[in-house]
Amino acid sequence: MTIVPKRLGVKFNLKRQPALQPDDILPIFQRWIQDHSVGGMLIDVIDYKHVPEGPGIVLIADEADFAYDLADGQIGLHYVRKRDLPDDLESALRLCFSRALEAARALEAEAPDDLLFDYGCAKISFLDRMRYRNTPETFENVRAEMTEILSDIFSASVTLARAYDDPRSLFALHCRVGGGDFNIQS
Amino acid sequence: MTTWKEILKDEIPPEMGMLIDTYEAQMELRKQGRLDEKIFAEARLRKGVYGQRYDNGQRHDGVRTRDLAFPSGEVVKGPDTLWDAPGMQRIKIPYGGLTAEQLEVLSELADEYSDGIMHITTRQDIQLHYVHIDDTPDLMRRLAAVGITTQEACGNSVRNITACTLAGICHDEVFDVSPYADAMTQFLLNHDDVQDFGRKFKVAFSGCAGHACGLVKMHDLGLLAQTREIDGETLRGFTVFVGGGLGTVPHQAKVLAEFCREEELLPLTQAVARVFARLGEKKNRNRARIKFLVAKLGIDEFRREVEEELKTVPHDERHSAYTDTLGGFTYSPAKAGLALNGAPLPDGFDAWYRSNVYRQVQPGYSAITLHTPLGDFTAQQGFQLADIARKYVGDNIRLSVEQNIVLRWVADADLPAIYRDLCEIGLGDAHAGTIVDITACPGTDTCKLGIASSRGLTAELRTRLIEKINLLPDAIRELKIKVSGCFNSCGQHHVADIGFFGNSRRSGNHKMPHFQVVLGGQWQENAGSYGLAVGAVPAKTVPAVLEALTERYVAERGEGESFQTWVKNLGRKEIKAMLQPFMKLPSFEDNPRYFSDWGDSRVYTIDDIGVGECAGEVVSLFSMEISKAESTQFEALLALDDGDYQLADEQAYKAMVLAARALVRTKNLDVGDDYNTIVDEFRSRFYDTELIYDRFAKGKFARYLFKRHEGLPERVNEDYAHQIIDETQLFIENVHSAEQRINGVIVG
Repeated sequence: MTIVPKRLGVKFNLKRQPALQPDDILPIFQRWIQDHSVGGMLIDVIDYKHVPEGPGIVLIADEADFAYDLADGQIGLHYVRKRDLPDDLESALRLCFSRALEAARALEAEAPDDLLFDYGCAKISFLDRMRYRNTPETFENVRAEMTEILSDIFSASVTLARAYDDPRSLFALHCRVGGGDFNIQS
Repeated sequence: MTTWKEILKDEIPPEMGMLIDTYEAQMELRKQGRLDEKIFAEARLRKGVYGQRYDNGQRHDGVRTRDLAFPSGEVVKGPDTLWDAPGMQRIKIPYGGLTAEQLEVLSELADEYSDGIMHITTRQDIQLHYVHIDDTPDLMRRLAAVGITTQEACGNSVRNITACTLAGICHDEVFDVSPYADAMTQFLLNHDDVQDFGRKFKVAFSGCAGHACGLVKMHDLGLLAQTREIDGETLRGFTVFVGGGLGTVPHQAKVLAEFCREEELLPLTQAVARVFARLGEKKNRNRARIKFLVAKLGIDEFRREVEEELKTVPHDERHSAYTDTLGGFTYSPAKAGLALNGAPLPDGFDAWYRSNVYRQVQPGYSAITLHTPLGDFTAQQGFQLADIARKYVGDNIRLSVEQNIVLRWVADADLPAIYRDLCEIGLGDAHAGTIVDITACPGTDTCKLGIASSRGLTAELRTRLIEKINLLPDAIRELKIKVSGCFNSCGQHHVADIGFFGNSRRSGNHKMPHFQVVLGGQWQENAGSYGLAVGAVPAKTVPAVLEALTERYVAERGEGESFQTWVKNLGRKEIKAMLQPFMKLPSFEDNPRYFSDWGDSRVYTIDDIGVGECAGEVVSLFSMEISKAESTQFEALLALDDGDYQLADEQAYKAMVLAARALVRTKNLDVGDDYNTIVDEFRSRFYDTELIYDRFAKGKFARYLFKRHEGLPERVNEDYAHQIIDETQLFIENVHSAEQRINGVIVG
């Protein structure tokens, strides 16, 4: 059985380059803190837009971070669950996807004609090199169970592929859902 | 389940592993409320585990101050510092020297425990932010496995020892100071004589007097390389500076010794540390740095104290032994040094070459500076940079006090190729060391003491200056700008041509972020002189202030006139008059933009300022030492729970010796680590004199120690382990009581 990693991330990329600049995201995240617009104990916003392909603008919460993320040359919404992950992988993935979807949709609502996320594909990151080294073996070990769990969660077929070849990188998977978008069935 | 502790047990040096285990046990004791919060705070700080803004559980969201209800509730990791609140981990990188492997591990840790960013500090450390304290023991173990420690990275201790990034390759140095910085780092780490300071102690080495790199004149202890001809022999040594520092009240260091021979360096430093520990302020931390002691005594009296102390410093083989190893400190370039071969150069190369490349004294080699904006780079860049280092320079990586990365020993022929590779990973920016390359402390982003956004302002200035850098006259391009978020000078604003530090002013019913303008500081000559504060301007006017100052400098400067000289000649009054138009404060209604800080959309407030941990907690030496005994006793309990009775006995015995040592050191600082000596000293000073005697039990608890010290019983079983752990607990309590009776106060 696949063990839940210490930290788990889900990122949805934007479909196209937006007119909105990272600078414009900072006040949005500050307002989210005031309005409790997304779940979690929201603490602060930090600006890393000066770092090439970095985490961009990050909304720090106690149990998770929400980043308007610039990594891999792809702008997206990256949700990283740092604490209090459920013990079973299905619940952990369900939680991370639902929080990432919630945040991405909330961000789209801020600029409906400009920010459009690709909900047909997500990157899932295992931030835990002790249990998940980025190797082909790790991928083979988790592929079947992950595919089954994700298919159950989204009631659709999913395909998985390793996101990075470099064994030093985080173990991360590109996950594509067949015939539509990620849509969590409660 | 497998743990990092198990995985890395054969790779972590035992001494480092033990320190981390002790810290982990202290964490558990604190969570259980069995270790005083102030003592734990200092123990935590000495592991580089620092607090961050909002860790008191409150944050102003721009409308009102809200409580941050962290899950662990009221559990604290220090006074007003909640357990679950994200914190900062400072990681010491002695003289900024890194290997490719260490860079990779740092990158892994940034990914897994932080926010994916490594931050280079002005003292050549790496900092990770938003780290949960529960992750810190494993983080430390992973570092220890590649030879990096966080020990004494914060708190009242000897901080990271810094040195010129060009040491060993510089045209102007007297000799390479790197091996000396390395030797002093190893000598002072965990040394008994540096455990009882009232505040932090910063040491820097410089290879020459003229350049800035080492900044020895603004350090608690600054070592400037010198040679002397004595009896026809060229001897190496140092001019020793003491009592320098920035902070609220900057002090220029004084010369303690014109020439200290290399074999006298470590004992002299030890004597300075002992004088600082003995005579330095312990209660008022605002006056506890050594600069205040030097100012109070005067350098002559301070020197006399050090000379007297030197006579009492116990003999230590290491004082001179290190000089035998200096010759072994060599560099291994990855490639042979070859000149540029005339092949076509990539776009942008020339500008990058002018500002970022330093031709080494070794023919065919150069050092290159990687400009990291605001000192930040990503974990991914860290991995890629490790590859580039391996390909071109091997392990010759250094971090600079200007928050950049320097790759040394690049073969000149490789410069175009390494430039291309660096551009691909976003680290090929030109303009290193120019006006664009601004130094900034964390400020209100993460620091509890931050008043204004030093990083926000720096990012704004940088963006504006990059747009016009190619149009700027050389006189402006070469200026240094440094920004601090408050008056405490972590951004080193005193030693910049143009410095700024955060403060605030009131306009109507609102506070407005401001920056005090500090002009004419000198970066060269090891931070040769400090700038003048000339007035505070609203944060939002700083870019315009900078433009006005630099334009006037260019227009009015005489031939070859430096910025420092121009400022001095112009005079404070005239400069103040120049700033006056910028000092007008609009009302909130007229211009609300002025009431938000750079990089922060919230209406500005100073409500988030907390109590800094920069100074650490002023905790007595006894309290720190007895806490180690308590955590060791706790480890004995864990061993008992695991059924490892042998280990339980060893830890319990060690805990009793540590407790005895804590008490002995209140009378004899030099007792050392030998068990026999400690027990003998304890017996003669406290048992034979009956000072340790309990009112009812008399010397019974002390005899538990003596009994175990005489030897093990025939059978070490569960009952025995239980018994010795209980006896250890009683003995530690006995030591606590005796110390209170004898010395009066535990926590200072």
